[in-house]
Amino acid sequence: MRQDSGGPAGTKLGRRRVLALGAALLVLGGSAVAVVRTRGYAVPAGRTLVVLSAWQLAVVEDAARRIAAPDRPGDASIPTPDALDVAGFVDAWMAHMPAKVRRDLGRFLGYLEHLAPLACAMTTRFTRLGPDEQDRVLSAVEASSSDLLRAGFEGLKALVFMGYYRDPRTWGLVGFDGPQVGRPAEGWR
Amino acid sequence: MNVLRGRDLVGDLSLDVDAIVVGTGAGGSIALRELARAGLDVVALEEGAFSTVADFDQREDHMLPRLFQEMGGRATEDMAIRVLQGRGVGGSTVHNTNLCKRTPDAILELWAREHGVEGAGPAEMRPGFEAIERDLSVSLIEPSFRNANNDLLRAGCEALGWRGGPLAHNRVGCAQSGFCELGCAFDAKQNALKIVLPQAVAAGARVYSDVRVERVLFEAGCVTGVQAVALDEAGAPHARVLVRARAIVLAASAVGSAALALASGLPDPHGQLGRRLRLHPGGIVAGTFDRAVEGWHGIPQSYECTEHLSFEPGSDRRVWIVPAFAHPIGAAATMPGFGAAHMAAMRTYPRLAVLTAMVHDETSGEVVVGDDGRPVLRYRMSDADQAQLARGLAACARLLLAAGAREVSIPAIPPRRVRSVAELDALDLSFARPHAVPLTAVHPMGTLRLGEDPRRSVVRSTGEHHQVRGLFVADGSLFPTSLGGPPQISIYAFALHVAPHAVERARG
Repeated sequence: MRQDSGGPAGTKLGRRRVLALGAALLVLGGSAVAVVRTRGYAVPAGRTLVVLSAWQLAVVEDAARRIAAPDRPGDASIPTPDALDVAGFVDAWMAHMPAKVRRDLGRFLGYLEHLAPLACAMTTRFTRLGPDEQDRVLSAVEASSSDLLRAGFEGLKALVFMGYYRDPRTWGLVGFDGPQVGRPAEGWR
Repeated sequence: MNVLRGRDLVGDLSLDVDAIVVGTGAGGSIALRELARAGLDVVALEEGAFSTVADFDQREDHMLPRLFQEMGGRATEDMAIRVLQGRGVGGSTVHNTNLCKRTPDAILELWAREHGVEGAGPAEMRPGFEAIERDLSVSLIEPSFRNANNDLLRAGCEALGWRGGPLAHNRVGCAQSGFCELGCAFDAKQNALKIVLPQAVAAGARVYSDVRVERVLFEAGCVTGVQAVALDEAGAPHARVLVRARAIVLAASAVGSAALALASGLPDPHGQLGRRLRLHPGGIVAGTFDRAVEGWHGIPQSYECTEHLSFEPGSDRRVWIVPAFAHPIGAAATMPGFGAAHMAAMRTYPRLAVLTAMVHDETSGEVVVGDDGRPVLRYRMSDADQAQLARGLAACARLLLAAGAREVSIPAIPPRRVRSVAELDALDLSFARPHAVPLTAVHPMGTLRLGEDPRRSVVRSTGEHHQVRGLFVADGSLFPTSLGGPPQISIYAFALHVAPHAVERARG
């Protein structure tokens, strides 16, 4: 699934153009939504969404798997973002955020799904890319020349890690012994 | 303490009182107490919830929504600086780290000399500082209470011969659990929630939580009351609240008070409302040590480095350095990168020491009201302040190396890592700017500042609005410049300074 990014000069120019377009669309707000295709996504069975749409949930799920990817692949002791329902947490958390913040997140997810891959010379939407390609896309957004896009990435990253490291099952990974209040006799770990 | 909850109101509420206080943090609690002790009928209206010790469960995901504005997600308009502000009965005194420093004499003298502030010089303010420190049982933290992160800052200062020293706090019976920023589960904080508001209620004041003030009402240049809404469990308005009074004290923070003043359409003939916002923006540096630091254990901030801090205007030494350890969620969000490399880095969490360089800023920001009625913080860090940020990050790195760090990392994309002073000296710090490094601010100030000249200030030296009689300000909005240190004692003391004038107006 890996796609060649093309020659350096052409890629650089293309990236700039696409990033500039993405940033402009984000700033212009509603127009960004207009170019985002939102069909072809399904809400998982048994899942009731609070504020995210089906396509937004899919993007958050995929992004969470990469942002909170394990450093020891295959180690069953490392909880996966899916097992901790990080995307569900983000959905519930965003329900309490101001409408403008929800709107900004939605626009950023639209950018990540449809435009950010283009900036990496990929013609497939983010949620249909393989893990390596998704990492490349996320790295590009993280290091974008657009302050707005970098801020969007940092916001999504903060939400994902909130959903991940809120869970006591992750505390042992980082050597954190958890709150003293309500601590089980055997400890949080 | 008996607090009336707006969420429990069964219908609209209409009150006639002598005075209203908007906000219940450091400034609001003092104003409320002094008005009540003067025998006046006074109510405080607080947008956030009322929490008790039992609510403080030391969980980031639970306490951020409960204790912080916008669930801890407030930021400047360009999203370059995260702005952590308190929300709820007790305001930011519930989640702060209890640092107690008086307003520096040089700052008070500057305000008198260049900003036309009268009656608030060092000698005039001293009794107020002393009274507040007695009320809050302020004392120096004993060295035996210094955790490993703070002790590494001390070691770094001593190794470099830099100026540093212990900090004073307002805590009694501290269990050293290390969760101060999430509210104290052991009731050790001697803050507005535990000390001052109960004193106010004992003197007859009423405190309403879950009531958001939307307008200050005024006629013919005099305040008449406030228009507010009571919020239900979900934070949605469910009842109208109208309170009439002769005096109103705004104490909803430099952001909240300014936004309310703007939304109320207060006279602003010289375009001063909401201007000159200061934030004390800070960046962090992490050092990796070969031994356990476990900086989340113990008192988070008990030692400071003031080597790079001067209070003289225009100084090129405007950085205050203190430890800044975060719990896992905060640490993960700040740590650069993502994925496997990020998780690998997180595994070093117990061996990290973290310092923050907080800029005693001169940048002039602004609070405005957005289309949705929410405050918008406009703040573009000046070149001079960015230079201070770079200076501060380099100083933090130098301190950590001097304390024995194996590696020092400045979060950025890509992260800058150094292992020696030579590598640090060779590092080009021009990358250290907003958006390139994570910045956090916890001390909004200015916006409704003191001064006798209405062309350059919003309120008189008494705290009363230049154009609206009976409207006072008693929070960090008052400060004409940034402080270069923790503001809570200054806010308490300036509220004490303002309160007698509000009492006089409330008496009619």
